[in-house]
Amino acid sequence: MSIIDLTSMGEPQSDLKKELNDRLTKLQDEISEYCFQCAKCTSGCEAHKLLELEPHKIVALLKRGLINELVNSDVIWTCMTCQKCRERCPQRVAPVEILFALKNMAVASGKQIPGKYTGMLQSILSMGLIQDIQQTTTRSNKILKRDELGLPPPSKPTDVAKFQAGIMKIAIEKV
Amino acid sequence: MKKKFALFPGCLMPTEQYAYELSIRETLPLLDVELVDVEGFSCCGEPMKSVNQLLTLYLSARNLAIAEKHQLDVFVPCAMCHLALTECQHVLEENPAMKERINGMLAAEGLKYTEKRQVVHTVDLLHDQVGIEKIKEHVKKPLNGLKIAAHYGCHILRPSEIGRPDDSEHPQKIEAILKVLGAEPISYPQKLDCCGAPLLANLPESALTKTGQKLQAIQEQGIQGLVDVCPWCHKMFDSKQTKAGETVAVKLDVPVLYLTQLLGLAMGISGEKLGLELNLSPVEKIQLGDVQ
Repeated sequence: MSIIDLTSMGEPQSDLKKELNDRLTKLQDEISEYCFQCAKCTSGCEAHKLLELEPHKIVALLKRGLINELVNSDVIWTCMTCQKCRERCPQRVAPVEILFALKNMAVASGKQIPGKYTGMLQSILSMGLIQDIQQTTTRSNKILKRDELGLPPPSKPTDVAKFQAGIMKIAIEKV
Repeated sequence: MKKKFALFPGCLMPTEQYAYELSIRETLPLLDVELVDVEGFSCCGEPMKSVNQLLTLYLSARNLAIAEKHQLDVFVPCAMCHLALTECQHVLEENPAMKERINGMLAAEGLKYTEKRQVVHTVDLLHDQVGIEKIKEHVKKPLNGLKIAAHYGCHILRPSEIGRPDDSEHPQKIEAILKVLGAEPISYPQKLDCCGAPLLANLPESALTKTGQKLQAIQEQGIQGLVDVCPWCHKMFDSKQTKAGETVAVKLDVPVLYLTQLLGLAMGISGEKLGLELNLSPVEKIQLGDVQ
């Protein structure tokens, strides 16, 4: 089981890509049709002022079929997933969901996954959580471990092989 | 009546945000909430949503199926996990084909999702299940009009169409709890602003800028402190406050506490038991007697 199987160009990914393509086509043909470019999504976008994400433009580009351009753009990775665009859209277009689909497509297309996502995924595969237990520091710079605080061992998958087998099905499942 | 929930810890709380877990385990049982530790939970899947949404859905369903196996409702203290599990329930209830598909995968671990169980977060658990009146009965050291701001966290407020713990645009449940603890909740224009955490994985500078901007606004309004209810938000506002200040070039000095820590203090529990020494922001500034 490797990251490749789940995320990039391994053979089974052709199914995932097809599925994502269907989803994006549906978003393009049906959902984005409802958008009348009022830009309410952009006016409340958490990533707009800081990183120039403009959700209404993402919808407009999708409507025009520029899926490859969007998938290859870094701007889709600036979304903070705050869900304000989905909440406030008068036409229920949910740009945040379009952005998730585009990012998933970027990953399935073998584009490099940005930042720490790969590390988190690796950790989930090996122990079920995005990171292992960390030491913590008090305000007076004392280093403490979880069990020293009287906390019980954390809940995590008990049979890692079986847990991985379950996840593996996502990589190899034929749609 | 005693309420019973499986405690779904997620990833961040049990691996680094220990103050939240300590204060939850100290306060809730005193309010007749029985927390059951269940083996085998994993990541909720939400951090992987940008990478592979099917993986997110699978992991969420897996955790719900484990709770179901124990016939327990679920208490989810993390806003991100709470959204993942609620959204998963929504998808599986609306889409029988997807439910069948996910159950096909869950069979590898002998698990099955069949029915929707209750999934609560700290805010609705305290406000709706425990109730304001009951909290009031347990307040032994009122907070003397402490001027404090509430940060809800995006993921417990939106999207409202799937049902969230509080109102998406005008949440008031934390404020109601703060009032009964004797504090004075302060309304502020940046209340619904994001903490920045979702960008921590790939754009950490921007994430910290977001954090710093919100804390700066709070500081400039003379608010005495901030309460939060999510390990991700708290990681940004408390654990990374110094870094956030450096990123926006402002000396930040805002005490940040988990709501359950402030609740515990008002209930007369010692700061040590509530993990107050683990807060890296200057919580000693708010002078609540036994704050360490």
